[in-house]
Amino acid sequence: MAEIKLNNLTKRWGDFVGVDDQSLHIKDREFLVLLGPSGCGKTTTMRMIAGLEDPTAGEIWIGDRMVNDDLPKDRDVAMVFQNYGLYPHMTIFENIAYPLRVRGVDKSEVKPRVEKAAEQVELTQFLDRKPKALSGGQRQRVALARAIVRTPKVFLMDEPLSNLDAKLRVTMRAELKHLSRELQITTVYVTHDQIEAMTLADRVAVMKHGVIQQLGTPDEIYNDPANLFVAGFIGSPAMNLINGSVRNGMFVTTGGTQLVKLDAADRAKAILGVRADDMQVHDAGQGDIDVTIYAFENTGESTLLTVQWGKQRVIARGDRHLRKDQDEVVGISLDPDHLYLFDPETEDRIRI
Amino acid sequence: MRDNTLKYLLVLPAVVVVFATAIWPLIEAARLSFTVGRLNRPGSLEQYLGWENYTWAFLEEPAFWNSVWVTAVYTILTVGLTTIMALGLALLLAPGGRLRSSAQTLLILPFAMSPALIGVSFRFMFNPEFGLFDAFFGVLIPPLADVSWLADPNLAFAVVVMADVWGWIPFLTLVLIGGLASVPRDTVEAAQVDGASGWRVFRDITLPQLGPVLAVVIILKSIFSLKTFDQVFMLTNGGPGTATQTLSHYIYFNGMKYGQIGYSAAVAWLMVIPMIFLTYAYAKFVFRKN
Repeated sequence: MAEIKLNNLTKRWGDFVGVDDQSLHIKDREFLVLLGPSGCGKTTTMRMIAGLEDPTAGEIWIGDRMVNDDLPKDRDVAMVFQNYGLYPHMTIFENIAYPLRVRGVDKSEVKPRVEKAAEQVELTQFLDRKPKALSGGQRQRVALARAIVRTPKVFLMDEPLSNLDAKLRVTMRAELKHLSRELQITTVYVTHDQIEAMTLADRVAVMKHGVIQQLGTPDEIYNDPANLFVAGFIGSPAMNLINGSVRNGMFVTTGGTQLVKLDAADRAKAILGVRADDMQVHDAGQGDIDVTIYAFENTGESTLLTVQWGKQRVIARGDRHLRKDQDEVVGISLDPDHLYLFDPETEDRIRI
Repeated sequence: MRDNTLKYLLVLPAVVVVFATAIWPLIEAARLSFTVGRLNRPGSLEQYLGWENYTWAFLEEPAFWNSVWVTAVYTILTVGLTTIMALGLALLLAPGGRLRSSAQTLLILPFAMSPALIGVSFRFMFNPEFGLFDAFFGVLIPPLADVSWLADPNLAFAVVVMADVWGWIPFLTLVLIGGLASVPRDTVEAAQVDGASGWRVFRDITLPQLGPVLAVVIILKSIFSLKTFDQVFMLTNGGPGTATQTLSHYIYFNGMKYGQIGYSAAVAWLMVIPMIFLTYAYAKFVFRKN
């Protein structure tokens, strides 16, 4: 068990910057998620921690040891790969046992430990099979078992659920969470799926273009986004971002006249952010403003109303019993405590 | 015309060609191997002799056993050396290996040369008067300074092996690079993180997954080594004495030089037997289902 420190870590390939001078302190036993779109440097960061990629500059510390020059095998980490990385020519038992075998664990100890790991991921009846004979979800469990069979200082997981179908992903997510709480080992988890990040993480680091945009608990990332990118990336549906300006304590949409009370200084250009859940849907005339429904969607657990607001469309979430139809007019009100204002030039948050 | 008829009509030319160039000569050679078959004796090509050509080779002809021995040692040495060196080069040249693609292009050159040309150029290079290798080895290893490479039985054999290994490495390297590229990177990286050293990653992960390709390489090279003729013919002509006389060369010598067509057809058929096994194994690996 150990903490991880990244000091001014940089990875460049020629002119391309993968990770740009990033520092990150991952606490002991913490579950940290690196979240971002593809190409944002999250996987590169993880691979540098694993030792599969050499940093161009900066330091990597695992525990009280700088591991920059250590081979992957000497870093005492375990990794779960996106495509599982199972050894196709070995049985499941041999796959799980491999980390023990190469580390010279006593033979009499291997079997019970493999069986225990297999039990933890509910794989015991498949130990004699080859990976080929297993389903995607089962292969994923093998990869997990191989990681937990010894007690490494650090777990690294590279989009471990992305190859599973949607339903299995939800189940495995819960199992992963359960397992990680049980094992209490420092974990770095890479994903582009914000739900995985929200549900699994102690803290999330949102990355873009090799730079960490925001580091915080899922609550902080969701409720207090540091900039436009984080605001737009987290949440489903994504936060509504409305172009406009601030005049006399009111937000005026571009090309529209609709006004929302906003306690902020005047500025010619601003972006208002509001989540679908922070908008209430009323009958026409009863909200702050009246809007026309562009599309009405019933997802079962709630309803989504895409409404035409000036020249822009925004999405509001309604009660699951709400029934409306296209082109109807509804009233919308915004929760004044959950409005976000951004500078369109710098994309930074303007605190109100 | 029915599709069925057309189907057979379309493969007919290929079948005819294969029959005329491979099947028919095989049958005809089998027939000849049971005749007296002397080129200088009219009618002897039809003169039935029974198994005598075969028993002669097995029981009364030390030169036959010599060429079997030469061919066996030659095959084991060339297959072994070529495969190991090609594997080493492939590991260096593979994507993620330590050398890049410009070197790959350069390395294919020896394979572009015909075996006969390789034989000739190696004969020049080991010429005691002006040979490059002759001078080179003489400087590096002083005891070898005055030897005449192609006149010494063991050294001549070594030269033939060297020429063959040199000529074959590039092609097998390319095949193995392809094989290495098909080993999933994930599995190699997983093993590295699991704690395996470079050597153990190679032994436990890369090599087993490379197995089928390696088998194809070994079988293919064995087939070509067994039937080696041109290099031997150009480089040593089987000599000195019969030190480098491979089976192919022995067959050629008896058939073409001494006119003993019947006997050499019998020996040729003896060579067909291991070839059939190798070809069967090769086909099994190449056309194997996953």
